[in-house]
Amino acid sequence: MKSISLYVDKGTLLNRIAPESKIMYIITAITVPALLGNRLAGAGFIVLSVLLLLSGKVLRKTIPLLSVSGFVLLTVLIIQGMFRAGNTVPLFSIGPVIFYREGTSFAMSIVINVINILLSFCVLILTTKPSDMIENFIRRGFSPRFGYVFISVFQIIPQMTETMSTIADAQRSRGMETEGNLWVRIKAFIPLISPVIMSSLINTKERALALEVRGFNSKHKKTFLNDERKTSADPYLQIILLIGILATIGWRVFVWLA
Amino acid sequence: MSIIELKGLHFSYTTGEEILKGMDFVIDERSTAIIGQNGAGKTTFVKLLKGLLKPTQGEILMNGRAIKDLTVAKLAKNIGMVFQNPNDQIFKNQVLEEVMFGPLQIGMDTETAAKKAKQALETVGLAEYEHANPYDLGLSRRKLVAIASILAMDTEVIIFDEPTIAQDYAGKERIKDIIRRLRSEGKTVITIIHDMNFVADVFERVIVFAKGKVFLDDTAKNVFAQKEVLEEAYLEQPDVMKLCHELGYEENFLNVEEFVQAGHGKVRRTYEY
Amino acid sequence: MAGIVIEHLKYRYPGSNKLALDDITFSVNQGEFIGIIGRNESGKSSLCQAIAGLIPNFYKGAYGGKVLIDELEVKKVEVDELCQKVGIIFQNPFNQVTGSKLTVYEEISFGLENMGIPKEEMTQRIDEAMELLDISKYKDRYPFDLSGGQMQRMAIASIIAMKPEVIILDEPTSQLDPQGREEVFQAVQKLSKQGITIIMVEHNMEKIAAYSDRIVLLEDGKLIAIDTPQVIFSREDLIEYGVEAPIYTQISRKLGLKDKRTGCYPVTLKEIKPLLETEGGDR
Repeated sequence: MKSISLYVDKGTLLNRIAPESKIMYIITAITVPALLGNRLAGAGFIVLSVLLLLSGKVLRKTIPLLSVSGFVLLTVLIIQGMFRAGNTVPLFSIGPVIFYREGTSFAMSIVINVINILLSFCVLILTTKPSDMIENFIRRGFSPRFGYVFISVFQIIPQMTETMSTIADAQRSRGMETEGNLWVRIKAFIPLISPVIMSSLINTKERALALEVRGFNSKHKKTFLNDERKTSADPYLQIILLIGILATIGWRVFVWLA
Repeated sequence: MSIIELKGLHFSYTTGEEILKGMDFVIDERSTAIIGQNGAGKTTFVKLLKGLLKPTQGEILMNGRAIKDLTVAKLAKNIGMVFQNPNDQIFKNQVLEEVMFGPLQIGMDTETAAKKAKQALETVGLAEYEHANPYDLGLSRRKLVAIASILAMDTEVIIFDEPTIAQDYAGKERIKDIIRRLRSEGKTVITIIHDMNFVADVFERVIVFAKGKVFLDDTAKNVFAQKEVLEEAYLEQPDVMKLCHELGYEENFLNVEEFVQAGHGKVRRTYEY
Repeated sequence: MAGIVIEHLKYRYPGSNKLALDDITFSVNQGEFIGIIGRNESGKSSLCQAIAGLIPNFYKGAYGGKVLIDELEVKKVEVDELCQKVGIIFQNPFNQVTGSKLTVYEEISFGLENMGIPKEEMTQRIDEAMELLDISKYKDRYPFDLSGGQMQRMAIASIIAMKPEVIILDEPTSQLDPQGREEVFQAVQKLSKQGITIIMVEHNMEKIAAYSDRIVLLEDGKLIAIDTPQVIFSREDLIEYGVEAPIYTQISRKLGLKDKRTGCYPVTLKEIKPLLETEGGDR
């Protein structure tokens, strides 16, 4: 079983752009609409994200993520649209059910915000190799040890799940039932979770030794096998995004002062 | 004594890749070692015996009764299995409690379970560690705790998955004794194993798995004599047999004792000074 | 060059009241192949880890005596300097996979990145190491998809790439199938021919007898003997230390084939063959 990251290399421009630029994009996509207080800005960034994801050939991969959150958002829409305190003006009705303008409007703001955040994160997550991102951080001073912990989670967790099924097999082989009513499952909890924890601890300790002898705790400055993930366009992208944020802040302050 | 019959046994995890491609044989009272390259289907096979997996085709009968209708937990009363890694099952912080877990789960009362557990610890040579924490013991002793925890369940059939890993000479001798003892008590012993020397010393029957099928099924001596077939299955002979082969002997000897008994006439020359 | 000198080495794990290593003294010449044998828990792994510097740098606990590699005292040397002197391979292949790299090629670079080796040199070292361990064909595979034997060879390659002068292997084949074991033994032989000092703990006495220049016998943390395989395996009291001699020695002992000059029995196939009648003519 491979790692649990969602990244796939499609060889597109988006894959080549530095992770930092994409992170700046997320920050911009969240702060600018928030500062402007304008739903149109949020919708605009959604469109932008969709275009980016399309160019990165990963738009289809957002569907599972969107459908999960879509369900929750639909619930928000229904509850706010129908039952929000202060609902007075009806907007539309489906049969006997009435959706009010105030509640629906409020819910739409939430929907736009959430989808904007999700899609901008997707621009990062679906097109960036986790180790590329972490390596760039480490190049800029981030602790290599923390970087390792972050990255290894992606691979170690699938390994752990395989161990978990072996443990379940072993305990069931000793006569322990795992299917059935709640009480049966509660009784099975400790015999299942305890070996998982212990074997993880033991494996972690052994792995720590192996890492140690490969210089993990070395104070030496790290070098990298892979080249830094960046393009010549990145400094410009980052400047444009930064200007965008600062301009928005400036505009906000201006409005507030006036 | 238990008889396990396998009839037309097929298994695949996903459609397409068949792991077991039709097995038909009977496991009787002889101690049986299953050998074969990793991926040949040995682990899948024992999981099917334990009911952890269901065959995609064919059936498994124990004493004439199909096991597919029994849950894993119910089957545990009849078939015990010692898993390879003791860390995958140990969860109590006292050896005796750990060994009593299995017996209690299959329905023994506390008194009987304690008695069986103590006997089992005696058999594996860990009687003095009754109150120790299993994780304070070294890996090889922890493995013996795992073995004891299955012995205490007093099942008719016992399966060992790689019992000799991490064991030193004394540990291996102890496990050999355990297997011989179980056999003398009329239990059916099955093992998956890579240690050919160990197999040659203890097991009456050797079945070679390769590519999801049975390649060879005979006494240890007859199976290990077939060097070419073993090579095809990526296996090797026990060391003494390799020596026989190197010396060009017609007859094959399984272990040092056999070799020496026949070998007294074979000393060609002594050291030349 | 890297000779190893161990003087009065003592060690006790934190929270234990027993000495894991009890006054051990011996030295190893550069390029030697040393086998370590003894029953389980006799101190073999602890000795390996003490030579690698993991004891005391990683383990803490009560430490006494000295371990010198190439005249550098292991206790006082920084991790990155030590990595360039001595490497160690453990029993479990899975737990030596870092889990932070997606291909075998990148996996081998892990230690080199930590050491700050420049990129060009890195690729050269990785290629050489993969070539030596015969795993070049796996370079783009996901590390956890390899077989046990392949994984161990990848671990050895990762250590070799760091160019240590001493390599320690602590039961590297215990958890492998026969094919994997054979792959690792062949790799170890190749390493030995390169002139690297090798220290190996193994339960396969036939292999240890064939590969080792000298063998260390441990019991209860103490050094019982260090000598050639012939001398060690010809000891009458070997069984008392929980060790069985190679089959060639067992057979020789029972057939009375002792070399009266040296007082030793044959310990390898090569040594016993001339003494036994062969059938079908000389081989």
